[in-house]
Amino acid sequence: MSAPFGQLQWLRACYRALPHLGLFALLIAAWEVLVRTGVIASIMVPRPSSIGASIVELYFVKGTIWRHFFITLGEAVGGFLIGAAIAVALAIGSSLWEPFRRYVSPYAVVLNVTPGIALTPIIIAWFGFGMGSKMALAAIISFFPIFVNTLTGLTQPDTEREELFRSLGSSERQVFWMLRVPSALPLMFAGFKIGLTTALIGAVVAEFAQATEGVGVLMSRFSFQLNMGASIATLLSMTLIGLILFYSMEFLDDRTVFWRREERRAAASRNRARAWKRYAKLNSKSGSSI
Amino acid sequence: MATADSRVRDPVVGGNSVGKTFAGGTVVALENASFDIEKGSFVSLVGPSGCGKSTLLRLIAGLIEPTSGSLQVHGSKVSAPRQDVAMMFQRATLLEWRTAIENVLLPTEIQRRVTADDRNRAMELLQLVGLGEFAFSFPAQLSGGMQQRVALARLLQTGADVLLMDEPFGALDEFTRERLNIELLRIVGEVGATTIFVTHNIAEAIFLADKVYVMTPRPGRLAQVIDVPLARPRELAVQTSPEFNRLVEDARETLGAL
Repeated sequence: MSAPFGQLQWLRACYRALPHLGLFALLIAAWEVLVRTGVIASIMVPRPSSIGASIVELYFVKGTIWRHFFITLGEAVGGFLIGAAIAVALAIGSSLWEPFRRYVSPYAVVLNVTPGIALTPIIIAWFGFGMGSKMALAAIISFFPIFVNTLTGLTQPDTEREELFRSLGSSERQVFWMLRVPSALPLMFAGFKIGLTTALIGAVVAEFAQATEGVGVLMSRFSFQLNMGASIATLLSMTLIGLILFYSMEFLDDRTVFWRREERRAAASRNRARAWKRYAKLNSKSGSSI
Repeated sequence: MATADSRVRDPVVGGNSVGKTFAGGTVVALENASFDIEKGSFVSLVGPSGCGKSTLLRLIAGLIEPTSGSLQVHGSKVSAPRQDVAMMFQRATLLEWRTAIENVLLPTEIQRRVTADDRNRAMELLQLVGLGEFAFSFPAQLSGGMQQRVALARLLQTGADVLLMDEPFGALDEFTRERLNIELLRIVGEVGATTIFVTHNIAEAIFLADKVYVMTPRPGRLAQVIDVPLARPRELAVQTSPEFNRLVEDARETLGAL
């Protein structure tokens, strides 16, 4: 119904993107010229065209990067899941039981102020050269933001609504699941977004330190060979992983905490109306058949 | 000065020298309150802040316990929140992740498994408060007045016959509040509930109620009981009648003579 309107919006979006694309093209062209004319030594900074050539070779012709790409992606996601599971469990425990929080939080703080990256050699000694050590480091450095955000979310005071639940004769369990958890979700997702990004840092740093596979290994190998074009082409794969992770979490956030955005609310509203009618229909049928 | 009133025939809610202190006895929120509230009647508690009206409401709701004296609802002592008493707050306190109808169903969900009848009842109540078309809207899509209507439907969904309202429309603008007050009278009349309504607005208290308890602060106590003999159903125009103004003056005198 809104096809002409939709097209117009597309045109507008393209129009708005034009200056950005122009600036980007200009920067790349200037870079290319500076290296070609010898102002910048090409052995230190590769020409954009040679990065482009490396991208074509690594990603499309030989496809060598993909194996490493998925290994690093897996390490980051695996580490994040482990870190998030522990962080959420400890945060729930801390929110429900004050003494538990008192005992746990000093360790959480110590873990946070110690640079997580500095644990790399120890982690590698413990977990070996494989994916295990990468996931462990990713888990450790993604733990804290998730822990803090979840705990803050779960312990936000909401006196009036707690009183409402109490006046309705609810159990503690009901208050937790029906009030506290949904109220905490926005903050929890903020923590997940930070945690997932830091998990990638953990995985890559551990790969730089000691590993046989992953984009970190590939990149340090190319750097040692002074193959700067391939090195930067590999770096861009990390950017790609980061973008994939960030937007996946953004997507989950948008669907889970749907009540914050008008668009999602409207969609949820329609879905629930449909579900309600389905239920009513089903019930009236079974009612009449009896 | 106000004591248990012997004229009440069928008391649903009763208090016997109820007192409540906070902070280890240093703050007297309510002192020696005795009262009997008749079945199906509408009672207003009016007074300035700190007069203990919200405290009294929370005591009846079983949310807090009295320091002295005792309270009864339907002849049994109040010691915890109970199913025959329900409360509505100044803020709508809706859950933003639930649609209007799901918010109305919350009390039922807390008590037991929701049945098709419960769902139909919730829909009827939303229609009763004039929000049938907004059943599947989320709170953020509703105005402040509409949110309070949802809260009112939720209050009725509990099935409680004693309704406690703590300045339920206090945060709304004057026009919305007046309209909702008229609707409130219609609705509680329809369901036949006993209502205790807290406000700091004297005219509002008198307009709504069969009986007004005027409360005074420091320490909070029931200072005066005013019977409101105005005929029902009441229109807004009743507020300009001499009889109404005499009642307002009466309450003002008590509050002014602190």
